[in-house]
Amino acid sequence: MSLLKIKDAHLRLDDKLILKGVSLSVNAGEVHAIMGPNGSGKSTMSYMLAGRDGYNLESGELLLNGNLLTEMSPDERARSGLFLAFQYPVELPGVGGMSFLREAVNSRRKHLGLKEFDHLEFVKEARKEASKMFVKDEMLKRSVNVGFSGGEKKRFEILQMAMLKPMVSILDETDSGLDVDALKIVSDGVNSQRSESNAIVVITHYQRLLDYIVPDFVHILSDGAIIKSGGPELALEVEKNGYAGMINAA
Amino acid sequence: MQHKQNNEFINSVQHHVNLFEEKNFRHIACNDLKGWPSPLAETWRLSRLGSLTRKKIEPIIPDLKKNNYLKNILKSSICINFVDGCYRKDLSNKLPDGMNLTYLNDDECLNFLNKIKNTNLADHPSTNSSLSCTPSIIKISLKSNFHLKDMLEIVYSGGNENKSVHPVLFLELNKNSSLSVVERFSHFGSLIMPLQLTEIAESASLKSIKIYDDNINTYNLSAHSVLLSKKSSYESFSLIKGGEFTRSETHASLKGENANLNLSGVYISGTKQHHDLTTAIYHNVPNCTSKQIVRGVLGGESTGVFQGKVRVAPNAQKTDGQQMSKAILLSDKATANAKPELEIYADDVVCAHGATIGELDDEQLFYLNSRGISKDKAREILIKAFLEDIITESVDQRLCEFIFNEAKVGLSSIINKVDKHKQ
Repeated sequence: MSLLKIKDAHLRLDDKLILKGVSLSVNAGEVHAIMGPNGSGKSTMSYMLAGRDGYNLESGELLLNGNLLTEMSPDERARSGLFLAFQYPVELPGVGGMSFLREAVNSRRKHLGLKEFDHLEFVKEARKEASKMFVKDEMLKRSVNVGFSGGEKKRFEILQMAMLKPMVSILDETDSGLDVDALKIVSDGVNSQRSESNAIVVITHYQRLLDYIVPDFVHILSDGAIIKSGGPELALEVEKNGYAGMINAA
Repeated sequence: MQHKQNNEFINSVQHHVNLFEEKNFRHIACNDLKGWPSPLAETWRLSRLGSLTRKKIEPIIPDLKKNNYLKNILKSSICINFVDGCYRKDLSNKLPDGMNLTYLNDDECLNFLNKIKNTNLADHPSTNSSLSCTPSIIKISLKSNFHLKDMLEIVYSGGNENKSVHPVLFLELNKNSSLSVVERFSHFGSLIMPLQLTEIAESASLKSIKIYDDNINTYNLSAHSVLLSKKSSYESFSLIKGGEFTRSETHASLKGENANLNLSGVYISGTKQHHDLTTAIYHNVPNCTSKQIVRGVLGGESTGVFQGKVRVAPNAQKTDGQQMSKAILLSDKATANAKPELEIYADDVVCAHGATIGELDDEQLFYLNSRGISKDKAREILIKAFLEDIITESVDQRLCEFIFNEAKVGLSSIINKVDKHKQ
């Protein structure tokens, strides 16, 4: 069953056509990797899916579990089960990590018709998940992402993913700014959440991340369109020959 | 026209003085009533009283049967109630042994008048009107070495349409005493002109919270003068959220060395409200510190004003004066004005000031939205974070939760109108 469907998406930013007909179908249980050079439209795609202001479709269709994403505000998309792990997580000075997580998780639970966590229940739950991601208690007491190292920020993103239990997760260059150890922790966190009922889209420049999060499908995005799709071997080809050869061949 | 209006209010004040004499209320006849300030006066330029001066207002005759006052915030507090500007013993708690509450007698009233005249509030419209129209000047005094553990809560309520209300308070802390006080303004009616003089003696310390939450049609022109002796401390926090027009004006004089002053405040303004936090700090002697942090949140077509003056006298070396004001505009039609003024005549001082006015950060809002948090809730979270440090730093811990809730109530009515105003 298709959890995420992008049909012939066109998107314009400041009069410039950035996405020129992207189509993608992601089924439950699958991990897709989208690779591409700088400026190919990868991050634009993730903002388009999350519904950022100004990233509106010019034509095409976006469906989350069969529902039109374009009719939902960013918060509705998230509550409905879409999650975006930011390439550059935003600092929120004065907003405590724990209360931020609780607000987010309870918004999602409310939407799903589940009982909202009270403070104590939530702290227990958050600590359990946090320890799996090597996120210390002390980090949850601090303001969200403020003074976090690059690795801490990405771990905190994946902790949010673990707690929100999204249907579809988009990981936007989650490997950027990570050392090898941090990359492993983050990848383990993502892998532990792979299941038959959800789907993950990994956006990355490098094959390296895909050693840890092994995708079922790899797509090459270039100049606003997917020019080639295949299995994990496609990532190795990129590593070997670079994007240029592939783009020229297409 | 302006002049005629001034005369009208002064006439009614003078008439009132005669009435008071007949009714045996104590009062001071102020013979230099000045009426409304000119809109050209520098300190009133950003807060014009145009629509007030056009109203026909006369001083209230207190109704001693009214008893619709606010309940105290903390059970343990000692409460004092002013209704229609009149101290109401029947609605107030008895003070503990270390404290006295008295009505000033004639001589003391003149003494009080002279003290006020020596402060820079002499020209404030509330000063001369309230001295003439108050039913009684109340003095609350703490004995030397007395520390009130519980909170003192003072509530000012009452008022009527087309009437002005004139509570006058003289708060005196003698040597090495300490007090934590919360004052709440909750009036109906047209105009309230509270006047207060606070004298803090050597090594005494006062923590004060003021909550301005008058009715939406009310003008509140509050005037407060604080005098600090050596090693004394005054830490105040004002929350302005009510009224049609609220101006909280505080003048603080540091008269003894090593005194410490903190004047902070938050205003939360919506609809067509006008909120003004005006302060003047006079560093008259060396080695004192003063700090001001102000935060404003504005929605609707509201206006916020922060005017902060710091004057450092030629001999006031080693002064440390800090001032920072920040305002967030939630609507295209809201206005924030910040006017920091430093007048420094000494050469060995540290003084800093800064002011920012902006909107909520789009990146932060989107980040919160992308986690399933609604737009309104996201705004609430970011504004709470904006106010968090100033409230937790400046407010007596026992009242933090109450202040956060009061702020939240004020914010909710602004936040859920944001999208309407943005469209």
